[in-house]
Amino acid sequence: MSAATARLGRRSPRRDVIRERRTWLSLPASYLIILIVLAIAIAPMLYMIVGGFSTTAQLNADPNALPHPWVWSNYAAIATSSIFWQALANSVVVAVVATGLALTLGAMAAFALSRYTFRGREALYVLFVVGLLFPLNTAALPLFLLLQQIGLNDNLFGVALPEAAFALPVTIVILRPFMRAIPGELEDAAIVDGASRIRFFLRILLPLSRPALITVGILAFVTSWNAYLLPLVVFSSQDHYTLPLAVANFQSTYTQDTARVYAFTAVSMIPALAIFVFAQRKLVGGLVGAIRG
Amino acid sequence: MARTQSAPVAGRETESPRPATAGARPPKTRRGLRKRVELTALLAPAIVLFIGFVIVPMVFAAWYSLYNWSGFGPLNDFIGVQNYTGVLTGPVFHQALLHNVIIAVLSLVIQLPVSIGLALLLNRRVRGRTFLRLAVFAPFVLSEATAAVMWYELLQPGGPLDALLKAVGLGGLVHYWLASTSLVLYSVFVVATWKYIGFGIVLLLAGLQGIPPELREAAAIDGATPWQVTRAITLPLLGPTIRIWIFLSVIGSLQLFDLVWIMTLGGPANASSTMLTYQYTNGVQRTQFGYGATVSVVLFVISLVFALAYQRFALRRDTAGALTRAVL
Amino acid sequence: MRGSRKPAIAATAVAAALTIAACSSSSSSTSSTSASSSSGSSAKVTLTWWNNGNTQPLLGVWQSVVAAFHAAHPNVTISMNPIQSDLFTTKMPIALKSDNPPDIFQQWGGGQEATQYTSGKLANLSSLASGWISELGEAAAGWQVNGEQYGIPYDQHVVGFWYRKDLFAKAGITSPPTTIAQLESDDAKLKAAGITPISLGGGSRWPDAFYWEYFAVRECSQSVLQSAIKAVNMSAPCFTQATKDLTAFMATNPFQGGFNATQAQTGAGSSAGLLANGKAAMELQGDWETSVVPALTSDKNIISQLGWFPFPQVPGGAGAPTAVLAGGDGFSCTTGASEPACAEFLQYIDSTPVQEELVQKAGVGLPANSAAESVLTNPALQAAAKAHDTAAYQAEYFDIAFPTDQGQALDTALANFFAGKGSNETIINSVSSSSGH
Repeated sequence: MSAATARLGRRSPRRDVIRERRTWLSLPASYLIILIVLAIAIAPMLYMIVGGFSTTAQLNADPNALPHPWVWSNYAAIATSSIFWQALANSVVVAVVATGLALTLGAMAAFALSRYTFRGREALYVLFVVGLLFPLNTAALPLFLLLQQIGLNDNLFGVALPEAAFALPVTIVILRPFMRAIPGELEDAAIVDGASRIRFFLRILLPLSRPALITVGILAFVTSWNAYLLPLVVFSSQDHYTLPLAVANFQSTYTQDTARVYAFTAVSMIPALAIFVFAQRKLVGGLVGAIRG
Repeated sequence: MARTQSAPVAGRETESPRPATAGARPPKTRRGLRKRVELTALLAPAIVLFIGFVIVPMVFAAWYSLYNWSGFGPLNDFIGVQNYTGVLTGPVFHQALLHNVIIAVLSLVIQLPVSIGLALLLNRRVRGRTFLRLAVFAPFVLSEATAAVMWYELLQPGGPLDALLKAVGLGGLVHYWLASTSLVLYSVFVVATWKYIGFGIVLLLAGLQGIPPELREAAAIDGATPWQVTRAITLPLLGPTIRIWIFLSVIGSLQLFDLVWIMTLGGPANASSTMLTYQYTNGVQRTQFGYGATVSVVLFVISLVFALAYQRFALRRDTAGALTRAVL
Repeated sequence: MRGSRKPAIAATAVAAALTIAACSSSSSSTSSTSASSSSGSSAKVTLTWWNNGNTQPLLGVWQSVVAAFHAAHPNVTISMNPIQSDLFTTKMPIALKSDNPPDIFQQWGGGQEATQYTSGKLANLSSLASGWISELGEAAAGWQVNGEQYGIPYDQHVVGFWYRKDLFAKAGITSPPTTIAQLESDDAKLKAAGITPISLGGGSRWPDAFYWEYFAVRECSQSVLQSAIKAVNMSAPCFTQATKDLTAFMATNPFQGGFNATQAQTGAGSSAGLLANGKAAMELQGDWETSVVPALTSDKNIISQLGWFPFPQVPGGAGAPTAVLAGGDGFSCTTGASEPACAEFLQYIDSTPVQEELVQKAGVGLPANSAAESVLTNPALQAAAKAHDTAAYQAEYFDIAFPTDQGQALDTALANFFAGKGSNETIINSVSSSSGH
């Protein structure tokens, strides 16, 4: 590895001070704006979380009031409900498989599409983009029949594989420009050092593309986590339900247990949020100092 | 061979000149074969998965559009382009299309500047940055269905939003957010913004990581004001990311469905309809499956035209990978 | 696409492994019917059953029904799959196209059943049910296609006005109205007392339709109505008259503000919620109201607060004064070796003891088997049941009576009309062409 890449991630403290002093928005003003944005973003979610501590009857009688009394039964019922844990497990399996597949295959394809030249490259790129443009709901029926043909019906993989496939276009659309922007000198330097292109891909390009990879990873994970139509079509038995489908259990023909829905949703979000917190810490990094040398 | 400062070219050629080492240069055919093997290994899995699970169902779905089919019996009523005539000449579809366009334009005009501003703010090392990013991103993690149910409750006449407005003395602003045919589309837009802005910010943050702070510092030391630094350095370097965002945002606006459907069912009286609520109403609910497939194909063609035009005119610079390299 | 088998084998292997790992052993989503030659007493049969009882109390009642049936018929096992009601619209077309649709599934009769019939997968139960179908009386007729029995109802519904006795008393209304004019004057009294007269779930579309359809039922004679439904043609003048009646009624502004976005049953702001919390005095709804309302309010006595009266009379209408708008829930069997067992199960569901349990414990509304009506204790429900049974005829709600396409188009046209975007022509013509966009 050249000296350039060795400087990755290192920052001199003095640079931060310089940067902080000269910005166009003063610190207090920044905080104010951030607080306002925070309030707007969080307030409805708080409404939902707090709603989970109420009862449906209460929410319906007076939706603007705080719960009185605060009840734990909704959240407690979820924590002890086998349906919730089963659905959680299902959601995790499907999302991890879908995200892993989409990231792996997508990164490989984006690498090929961004740093190789070959005939039909742009046409292939457009083919992938095309997958982004067709609404999923119409493709659901033929997809179902296809899954039945290959025996993946009512099966977690029957959802994970198509989800990965549908995540490929976005993955490639985002990764390709990021990978393209990695300077060619790095690649040349690696090849000078005797590395193959694949090694360049694994050892240099992927780490440098980390912000983009994390972004598409988060996107693929959250999309799979919240996917509703595909699991609805593929799964017949409740044992396989993922979390968004399990919410339907709180809605009967005529009524909806709104407080339970709120509590359930609030809890369902936790894993996805945890992934985000974990992943976005890794968001920092990338090309810092890499081009020197 | 001497290394010269390479001019910006589109992509890297595998056959780039290598410095002459002690050993002989490998023959061209072997390099070509190796390249082909590498390409196959890199591309084949994605292509197979993609064609199998995306392209093939799409083609079938498009095929249904040529039939008058309820989705139940066999496909035996071939009507050719009749569905297309019905869709393309229908005023209700035109209205839905217009709504999609309005939302796409609004997202560019309102969501984009806000996203950029917030991303720049959240890129600064302020205290609690992780929590702030989490808070702004959290709406994106919420499923569309529940977000819609929640906002439906919040926007009820006399509901929490109205109560809040009255409490701060803005009672005059209270309207029928979801019942008014003139306001409902914009209420939907506001909810969609609330939901999706978090992802835009994360994407832009990723783009900001790729901008070396040395550039900004150099300009600052040269005497540029912070705003000038932002305008001349940060924003242009963020360009590729912004252009991705625009692309995904327009496509997303064209395919808006779940949020609208659960909050308003596209109503009242089609005031908040989108192409996909139109498709659901006329294709699924009315068991006109072939007709519904037609709407999907039309939506696809519109998206494709946009995508191709956008690719050609806006993204060309990015695929050339020009900027970062020229600077160096 | 029937492409290469290799990915299929690999995928199936992984899928199988995961299935074994992830699934609990009790779930069986594919029906494995053995080739049973005659009505089921010999070979073992497993039936998959899709119903909408995904929450209590209906869920518990169906589960006990399954257990009891299995005890009586040990060779028949029923694997129940409750699915939330709204999801049937998406899942049924796909299921009926697949190779193994559920053996028993829920549907709502009328033109919707006729549309599903075109899949060719619905079993003809006429001969299997001939011995006992007469117990259900009139109800069974709504579940036939071309005179053959393709579905069997398990409950019935009737639409009428639910009202709050306390609010009526507060406004000084001593007895429920019997004519439209009286209803309108009662509305005025309620408004004077500061009460919203009627709540309407316009956002859900079908509550709007009840009003127009009832006006049509009052204006049109039975024969005109039935032939119009059959021919899918509403050009008869009585339908136009119904629109006029509706327009005049709406001009009195009886509904709550913003009713076009109010949904029918979800949450505080729903039309049912408004009634439950005393924010409106009346709602035109089906008998399911007693199942909906308790969850929407903390008032434990809400059911006893509610009364019921039939849709008022319209002067000069050709329709029978006692005619009602009605519907029901039921099940169909899919073709295959499971038909005899399926028919037996449906017969069991319509037997008096089960019907009574459904009414009492699950609150499904009115039983399909009228012998079970004796267990109704709520006076309002009893009034509804009486109106239903003594009606000159029961008109099925139009969006079910018409084929699904036309029925939905009518609902949309009516909702648009209520929102001020439509005319008599758009309503009448909504069912004429299959597009009507």
